[in-house]
Amino acid sequence: MTRFGYDERSAALLVFPVLAVLLVVAAFPIIYSFWVSLHDIVLTRPLRRPFVGFDNYLRIFDDARFWTAVARTTVYTLVCVAVTTFLAVLVALLLNEVFPGQRLLSALLLVPWATPSVVNGLMWKWIYDPTYGLLNGLLVQVGLLERYRVWLGDPDITLLLIANAAIWKQMPLAALLMIVTMKAIPEDLYRAARVDGANIWQRFVHVTLPALRPGLMLVLVYETMISIRHFDLFLIMTQGGPGDASFTLSWLIYVETFRSLRFGTGAAMSYVLAITTFALSWAVIRFLGKRI
Amino acid sequence: MKKPLAPRVTRAILLTLFSALFVLYVAGPVAWLVSSSLQSEAEITRVPPNWLPQNPSIANFEAIFSAADRVVTYENRRQGEALTSSFLPSGAANLLPAMRNSLVIGLWVAALNLLLSVTAAYAIAVIDFRGRRATLYTVLATRVVPDIALVVPLFLVIRNLGLINSLGALVVTYLAITVPFTIFILISYFEGIPRDLYRAARIDGCGHGRALWHVYLPLSLPALVASLTFAFLTSWNEFVFALVLTQNVAAQTLPIIISGFIMDFTTSFSFVNAAGVIAIIPPVLMAVVFQRYIVSGLTAGAVKG
Repeated sequence: MTRFGYDERSAALLVFPVLAVLLVVAAFPIIYSFWVSLHDIVLTRPLRRPFVGFDNYLRIFDDARFWTAVARTTVYTLVCVAVTTFLAVLVALLLNEVFPGQRLLSALLLVPWATPSVVNGLMWKWIYDPTYGLLNGLLVQVGLLERYRVWLGDPDITLLLIANAAIWKQMPLAALLMIVTMKAIPEDLYRAARVDGANIWQRFVHVTLPALRPGLMLVLVYETMISIRHFDLFLIMTQGGPGDASFTLSWLIYVETFRSLRFGTGAAMSYVLAITTFALSWAVIRFLGKRI
Repeated sequence: MKKPLAPRVTRAILLTLFSALFVLYVAGPVAWLVSSSLQSEAEITRVPPNWLPQNPSIANFEAIFSAADRVVTYENRRQGEALTSSFLPSGAANLLPAMRNSLVIGLWVAALNLLLSVTAAYAIAVIDFRGRRATLYTVLATRVVPDIALVVPLFLVIRNLGLINSLGALVVTYLAITVPFTIFILISYFEGIPRDLYRAARIDGCGHGRALWHVYLPLSLPALVASLTFAFLTSWNEFVFALVLTQNVAAQTLPIIISGFIMDFTTSFSFVNAAGVIAIIPPVLMAVVFQRYIVSGLTAGAVKG
């Protein structure tokens, strides 16, 4: 056999186009972005771009807006991940049953998943609309609310309302992953538990939950990585407001880069977010991988 | 063995209850969007809101599809009355071209994504070559970086190349999003195809090209359909990159034009809702039609853990 046989040559040929594309639109920008983050690049002064080392990074940590954004992103991500996972398990329990209409409901599950995020933002913004929205109309008609509220204008709940829109869209994929995991649980386990006299709740806690671990871990990691970087809804629904109530990290990066045109600090912030995301998913995998 | 009656009734009640809640939660918001799009501006701005349109009308949709024929000038710009829903936002004529852009980009992304991913996935799943694991990890690692972090450098690169506003730049950018995931799906599918078929093909004198074409592709039709759908949907729905990489109306995609309407306070509600419904129809139809393929595709890697 030669050093580079037929297999090696074919593989190189087959893999090359993908690597070329990813090099241009993924690898190079990632590296280039690091270079940018070490320079003081402000687009309003295009010819002046001094090398500043890690000053951009240090500047971020002195920036009060950054810490606000960290706090907002943390709350938002926790809510999104927790509620999405909870709902996904519930939906999976429902759709894993066999009953008339189950197939129809499974098809329906894909509707939020397929909805473009812009339309998702539009839809919920319209539902929350202070004068003509569904939420006000519904709650007042039922008698749960005395008078119309400006939902997205209330800094205490804005973040939760945006999270609700996000959860609506990302719950289906999580639910699908949970259903697949549930389908893989051997029926024997339930039969054995039943013989031992376990009721439905005990069967759920002692048979279903432990068997869901791998799927649960996948959902937690995936949802964390997705939620922490959400951007579309913030641009469409609140633009970081009211005040700084929905001022998250990805929104800060957008403002810093495309409104203040400070590309250097913007890139540095992007790096901080990327590394945080990576570290978090790593930690979740390690932590949960050991414990359960 | 028939179960006793009481538990069966409880089960039926619980299932009905939870099914109803599920339908309300999943379909309710979309139903309200559709209902709003079929109402006139006068009807939609009524308090309390109309749950269902009193006089369903497709005027908003007609307006979208005829907007291109209307020339808005200084003289006739106020002719349409907002309350009779003949009022059109100034950007209405951009909707159809934007839809065309979204469609063209989506089809290119779907096709190129499949071409690139099939070959790479075959190589990684089937051929035993040095650097196989490294290739796989490199491909998957590019998706760890958040989109918003990629947007800035990509914008600088594409601006320096003078490719802002080019549909081609968007297509290539979207490939970076879809390819890693598609490769992941296809690998798990290819690995499920019996190795003996591959050996038999090789013994019969097939090279890798023909083994891929005559053995692997015909056997992985569901995964191929899933990949095409997934790539088209991702491209059709994508927002951040399109927002930053296109700056004139001629090159913008549907989500960008719609987001412009949402943030424009003068746009009529019913019109925006109709635009939203139009943007939702193709992806939702595809998702429902190809449901089985999509579900097995999306969850392909999950079972193995």
